[in-house]
Amino acid sequence: MDVTATLGASALVTALAAAFLAAVAATVGHARRQPRLLGAGRRAIEATAVLTTMAVGALAYALVTNDFAIAHVASVSSRNMQLEMKWASLYSGQPGSLLFWTWTMSLLIAAFTRITVPRIPWAAPHAIATAGLVLTGFLGALVFLASPFRLSAVTPPDGQGLNPLLVDPGMLIHPPFLLAGLVSTSVPFVLGTAALLSGRLDGAWIRHARGWALASFLVLSIGNLLGAWWAYTVLGWGGYWGWDPVENSAILPLLPITAFLHTLMVQERRGMLKTWNLVLVLAAFALAVFGTFNVRSGLVASVHSFAQSEVGAYFLVLMTVTIVVSVALIAWRVPRLHAEADLEALASRETGLILNSYLFVAIALVILGGTLFPVISELFRDIRVTVGPPFFNRVVGPLLALVLLLISLGTVLPWRGGSSRQHVRRLRAPALVLVTSAIALGTLGMREPVALVATSAAIVVGYVTLREFLVGARGLRAARSISWPVAVVGLPGRDPRRYGGYLVHLGVAIIAIAVVGSMVYQEQTRAAIAPGESFEASGYTFRYEDLVARQPGVNGIEVEGLVVLHVERDGRPVATLRPGRRFFSNFPEQPVAIVAVHSNLQRDLYVFVQGWNAQRRAEIQVFMNPLVTWLWIGGGVYTLGGLLAFGVAGRREPVRAEIPAPAGTEPA
Amino acid sequence: MTSRTLGGMRAGAIAVALAGLLGTATLLAGPSVSAQTPTTPLPSATPATPSEAEALAVEHELLCPLCVNERLDVCSLAICNDMKRIVRERLAEGASAEEIIQFFEQRYGPKVRADLPRRGFNLILFGWVGGALLATAAAATFVLLSMRRATRRRAASAAPPPDDAGLDALIAEATGDEAGGAERGAR
Repeated sequence: MDVTATLGASALVTALAAAFLAAVAATVGHARRQPRLLGAGRRAIEATAVLTTMAVGALAYALVTNDFAIAHVASVSSRNMQLEMKWASLYSGQPGSLLFWTWTMSLLIAAFTRITVPRIPWAAPHAIATAGLVLTGFLGALVFLASPFRLSAVTPPDGQGLNPLLVDPGMLIHPPFLLAGLVSTSVPFVLGTAALLSGRLDGAWIRHARGWALASFLVLSIGNLLGAWWAYTVLGWGGYWGWDPVENSAILPLLPITAFLHTLMVQERRGMLKTWNLVLVLAAFALAVFGTFNVRSGLVASVHSFAQSEVGAYFLVLMTVTIVVSVALIAWRVPRLHAEADLEALASRETGLILNSYLFVAIALVILGGTLFPVISELFRDIRVTVGPPFFNRVVGPLLALVLLLISLGTVLPWRGGSSRQHVRRLRAPALVLVTSAIALGTLGMREPVALVATSAAIVVGYVTLREFLVGARGLRAARSISWPVAVVGLPGRDPRRYGGYLVHLGVAIIAIAVVGSMVYQEQTRAAIAPGESFEASGYTFRYEDLVARQPGVNGIEVEGLVVLHVERDGRPVATLRPGRRFFSNFPEQPVAIVAVHSNLQRDLYVFVQGWNAQRRAEIQVFMNPLVTWLWIGGGVYTLGGLLAFGVAGRREPVRAEIPAPAGTEPA
Repeated sequence: MTSRTLGGMRAGAIAVALAGLLGTATLLAGPSVSAQTPTTPLPSATPATPSEAEALAVEHELLCPLCVNERLDVCSLAICNDMKRIVRERLAEGASAEEIIQFFEQRYGPKVRADLPRRGFNLILFGWVGGALLATAAAATFVLLSMRRATRRRAASAAPPPDDAGLDALIAEATGDEAGGAERGAR
């Protein structure tokens, strides 16, 4: 008997029982009006979090102690793996990622039941019951179909080791962020469902959902940015976003969450879009579940492997139940979801936000279609096709350009509209900037219409956003007689939510410009040369000194071959790069590229080696990728803005006003 | 009456503009293929001989038959090195890019084509895209217009013309709630 496996497995079984009990206790407690049962339900949710943490602890212990009697441990780790890389083993593979997913979810939901549930007494039983059922669904799969604690038939002397592509420091942070981001959509989902079940559908649930949705948005965004960075520095194909089914699955839930963060303001301020907001949070969770499991269950690789995997079928059922129940709940409550206010003017910020949120949904539908189409094609005519970057860039590119235009419109137009003379005055300068930048870029030789529109629109977003900062700072300066820098820095503190949002927009604009630049002006050079020879690429000379071997002796790496390249420009040395290839003892068929990048603010020189022959003649590829550094800078600004936007989430919440007030004194 | 028609016209114009924007976006989409894959031999700095640039252009249109979504030019599997060699040989023989792509498509199936052809069964996907865009545009227009209409209806009933307001009040005072009833009936 393997003690660790037994402990871990029993923790999971007990967690399953606790999650189910939470749902039962909350339901019965609500029906019989017994607050004690409700308290028991809350504690059962917390117990679930503790128990899954124990299971994760057991698996981590098994990984650290090389307990290869456990099949999962043997398949994702080996004796010579570094301790820190074993953290990546924890969430790799189907059972590992499912455990990590369920663990993060139980922690988040436990935090939610502690922080938020006491403040929403009107929906507490509904929230606990929903949370218990969601956890039951995932724990059920973990216990019955994909347990990470199954034992090997024969204990192997050593494990297989981690998949070569995952042996990279980037893997230590990128998947946890992404998985946590996907999982975090569950909290707004639970809140939305609880609001629907309880029948209290005013702005109350929205106030509590905002902070959780913002967290979800931020973690998912960071996960996607880190994913792009990992793909860029590890995969070795010269780009950072390939519209791969895995990437698409990660970006899909982000779209409704982003739309929700915008339209919730319309509900908060104007009592409109109640149904739409519920649709968005329910859809985000459904897409998160869909995304994770269409990837993990092999649906993307092949319909046939999906049909054979038990987990795939299980999640298909779970997904269907989620969607059917969500649609039914909304349909049931539609009569209560009428707007409290009306749209006073079409030319208003409300309109901008509504249009943008519909646009986000359109983008999500398009990406969903493109991701699923290969599966559909295989299912109906047994022909595998690829839907890749050419399709997505052509269809999604223009829509993203439209998003940029609408960001400016939403920023410039005031709430509830105003006079048309006001509109002309407010829109004049941004329109001028748009036209001027389009003409300037066209004159400079940018011929791609979508790229031209997107870049000009991004410049306008930058202009409009900075103007908001300046106008705000001028006001603050006048009121407090402080200096300009102090005013600009102090401004976000006055209204973190608003200026945090603006900073996110600024980050998006910077990212957009970097993306256009790196796509349209990328240069690719390929050369096959012997040591001592050199070649020219994008104005740089690459001199191949020699091929050297390195044996790190860890993480299953057998040997690394590195091509020493001296990069010069006009006779002056720029850098010495060492791109190469990494070979693994247990995966001889799967060598991975070692990418070498030389970055500055204008461009990246991105070099990788595709192979060499016995005479050390190496095939080298150089991509000149303009502006990529700005992608990461934009990502930083975006993240900073997202963090800043939390500022008000805490301060604005009228905590005390919402503790069960006697009827009739409801907060407005 | 006039203002309502005008408002309707403005709303209609916005709907048209919205559809137009989406339409333009889809139209603009055509030529942007090259934005992703710089198929044209871009820089003069590239040392590649014309045939090398041509080979790259063809390789950008093809995918590795074994990996998922990996472009031929950046894949280093043996099968891809073979494909790259064949691309160059066929180009030297004077074959066109499309002929070479078709050759590999017959050999490995349609999944090696980087760009999904717009024909046959694949039209379902393009139909889905068009339908999704149209449906969301229509939904957004409908929602905005119905919200706007509700506003006008309510505004019209909530605020009677100021001239008559005093009169209405006087009448109401004099005749009980008859005037109110008449107003309700008129609506």
